[in-house]
Amino acid sequence: MKLLAKDESLCIGCGECEAVCSKTYFKEISPEKSCIRVGDQKIQVCTQCGECIDVCSVAAISRDKNGVVRINKKLCVGCFMCVGFCPELAMKMHGDLLEPFKCIACGQCAKICPTHAIHISEEA
Amino acid sequence: MEKLEHKFLKEYNYELGAVDKGYTNRTLYINVGTHEIKEKPVTSLMKDKFIGGKGFGLYYLWQAVTESTKWDDPENEIIISSGPIGGITQYPGSGKSLVVTLSPLTNMPIDSNAGGYFGPFLKFAGFDALELQGKAEKDVLIFIDGTKGTITIEEMPGGGVDTHILGEQLTEKYADNEEDKRNIAVISTGTAAEHTNIGLLNFTFYDVRRKGIRLKQAGRGGIGTVFRDKHIKALVIKCAGVKGDLNHPVDKLTLNKTGIKLHKEMHDLDNSQNQMRKIGTANIISIMDQYDLLPTHNYKFGAHKDTFKISPEVFISKVTQNSPDGCWHGCSMACAKAADHFELKTGPYKGQKVTIDGPEYENAAGLGSNCGIFDPDVILELNFYCDTYGIDTISYATLTAFVMECYENGILNKERTGGLELNFGNIEANFELIHQMAKGEGFGKIAGLGIRKMKEIFAKEYGADPQFLFDIGMEQKGLEFSEYLPKESLAQQGGYGLTNKGPQHDEAWLIFMDMVNNQIPTFEDKAEALHYYPMFRTWFGLNGLCKLPWNDIAPADNKLTDEPAKIPEHVQNYVDIFNAVTGKTIDKFELIRQSERVYNFQRIFNIRMGFGKRIHDKLPYRAMGPVTVEEYQSREERYDQQLKELLGYDTTGKTTEEKIKVLREYREDQYEKLTDAVYKRRGWTMDGVPTVEKLRELGMDLPELLEVVEKHR
Amino acid sequence: MIKLNNRDCEWHEGLTVEELLRLKNYTYPRIVVSVNAVIVPEEAYASTVIEDGDKVEAIHLMAGG
Repeated sequence: MKLLAKDESLCIGCGECEAVCSKTYFKEISPEKSCIRVGDQKIQVCTQCGECIDVCSVAAISRDKNGVVRINKKLCVGCFMCVGFCPELAMKMHGDLLEPFKCIACGQCAKICPTHAIHISEEA
Repeated sequence: MEKLEHKFLKEYNYELGAVDKGYTNRTLYINVGTHEIKEKPVTSLMKDKFIGGKGFGLYYLWQAVTESTKWDDPENEIIISSGPIGGITQYPGSGKSLVVTLSPLTNMPIDSNAGGYFGPFLKFAGFDALELQGKAEKDVLIFIDGTKGTITIEEMPGGGVDTHILGEQLTEKYADNEEDKRNIAVISTGTAAEHTNIGLLNFTFYDVRRKGIRLKQAGRGGIGTVFRDKHIKALVIKCAGVKGDLNHPVDKLTLNKTGIKLHKEMHDLDNSQNQMRKIGTANIISIMDQYDLLPTHNYKFGAHKDTFKISPEVFISKVTQNSPDGCWHGCSMACAKAADHFELKTGPYKGQKVTIDGPEYENAAGLGSNCGIFDPDVILELNFYCDTYGIDTISYATLTAFVMECYENGILNKERTGGLELNFGNIEANFELIHQMAKGEGFGKIAGLGIRKMKEIFAKEYGADPQFLFDIGMEQKGLEFSEYLPKESLAQQGGYGLTNKGPQHDEAWLIFMDMVNNQIPTFEDKAEALHYYPMFRTWFGLNGLCKLPWNDIAPADNKLTDEPAKIPEHVQNYVDIFNAVTGKTIDKFELIRQSERVYNFQRIFNIRMGFGKRIHDKLPYRAMGPVTVEEYQSREERYDQQLKELLGYDTTGKTTEEKIKVLREYREDQYEKLTDAVYKRRGWTMDGVPTVEKLRELGMDLPELLEVVEKHR
Repeated sequence: MIKLNNRDCEWHEGLTVEELLRLKNYTYPRIVVSVNAVIVPEEAYASTVIEDGDKVEAIHLMAGG
């Protein structure tokens, strides 16, 4: 299963990951639009646990072949139940957007992290 | 599957339009008799004074009827409306449709709400309300295509009407493909609605996980009976592309945040609070039994030794778990549970494997303990047949319990019931009764008239004592009681009795506050509660909201607030989402006034129709205290103690009959005193008529209302 | 004798909150208990002893149905 693994003890909270994430997906630098959030030696990001899949009433969330949990925006009705039910608080909402958003383990942030506090893990 | 024959009678095209701050500012009128279809503008008076939902329903019904209109006259309407908040996807319980008509049971306006997708879809298709008037010659179907802007009236003779089949067929027919089925919502009823006065409307939504339709009911007051009397077979609506901004709210972020806050409460706290996500409203069956509040044997008792057989745990094992069972998008309370792959054992669909929507608490208590039935599978199957035949489970259950007590008292016998041995607990006879209702045959046809009509018949035809029938027949204003035992809570007697549409608990549920917590000891306290709660709860029906997410979950720190029973944080949520959708700036006090306007309008509507006064607020004594020796003796210690403590009455050497009489006089007097206090608090005369001053204060001194109250001063 | 929800209620030496709720058959899960206006957390029901003359409130948070 592919996911963004983390070692919080290495995190210096520089915010580079947040900047690259929001830039990649929303063409702007805004921590509020980042799928990963850091600070105070805490890294908040999706563990791909998939609890949100069962919460979604319209079955808009599913696991892809790599094990990554993805949102089908076309089916999503923007209820944000998945945000309230995420055990990691890693499903995100932003007022500009009709749908929630989350980490899909693309690895852009891992590439830029100066302390290797995050990396893509592909273990089974 | 049989082929559905349709002949087009009328086609109408309209501009799709857009929703602005919760309103489309337009409603739809359809006359099924003349095939007239027209659009009407929503006025600022409507929005300011009636808000939406049942407010709009009552507003239109007032204009459609006169004081002499009967439920089966063509001018009677069925109005369906959601409300300004209805259709948002972010906050739990925001998809309700409110239905208003003149009721065949009460002959005055009834309002009933249902989940399912029709109400929100109607708005997104372009209309804040739908008025249906007239009577079709042959069965018709109305199709509103909110993706194209077309409305058709189609003749649709023949074929079945039972919802679990018809709803599925129509969803199949009007959807382009599997993916499109979620965009279809159907309203229909069933065969028993044609032969009884207790018909309901089923509202469907397509469950993408189960790949089948689900049914939610506008159950109360016989609306399905009116629907079939108009020869409407079904309403179908299509609407695609639901998102969280279709209401065009002024402040979407507040909707998102407020919704997420409640989702999180559900996630963190539901399992240790009411377990709504596991078993829905049926979570309280055992609790009601333990507090002697579970109606048993026609409300004689409040508990039964076999209740454990129908406990929430039993039903949890029967309904599918871990399923997001909301009846509209965004409902994380997810109480719309269902038992899947249930094999029916009786009736025309015997052997079919079906999905049963429920059981809700009312089904389990009514179809179960109140009729002396403690078999969960029987309750589920009766629940299924009530739904697909299109009859209200609550009225069905309460009237069956009444019939059973009449049978056990010799008022009815095998000869009079056509062979049905309707003792408490007789499962076979109960099934036969419901199947007879669907066929319009035998004793089922008489029972389906409702308790009020049965009382007349039993007195006239069988010489039964009218007073005894009045005492044990659990109806008021013509509507059957819902399933709580109010004997030991004076405030809840008011919660049932001092209502607009009859004894349901839609307006107030004060039993614990009153009987157990003793928080409202004086008449004034009770009257305050019987003002605040009915007004607060009326507001849900103006806005297209469900009441359950208000108080079937509470924030962790709710207990530390000044008024925990009101759930202050959730009240503020409602203020916030109303303002966020509409751009208005109400506070929690204006919220109550919004309701008061419509509540008083409805009261005056009742008065206009010849009801709605003090005499109509009287209760059957079974709701207030022990009618029979058996009942008194079953709780003798309690009643004896009350006679001593409250009245200083020495019970030694007194017969049970003597004690019943004294207790009854006391309790009836208490109810009268409560009535005085409540009328005073609500700004009504002692005859229950809203005063001119009250109407002025509310800005409801409309000429047509003043005319009615002046006449009844 | 104690007051429970402002009504007289039998009392005995060593009566705990837990025992009182059991005796009264107060089984509803959402009850807020206070003794002399101090809220008792659920985990302290068993260890909280009620004294003679105490004012106890056991407020059931249900206005539902």
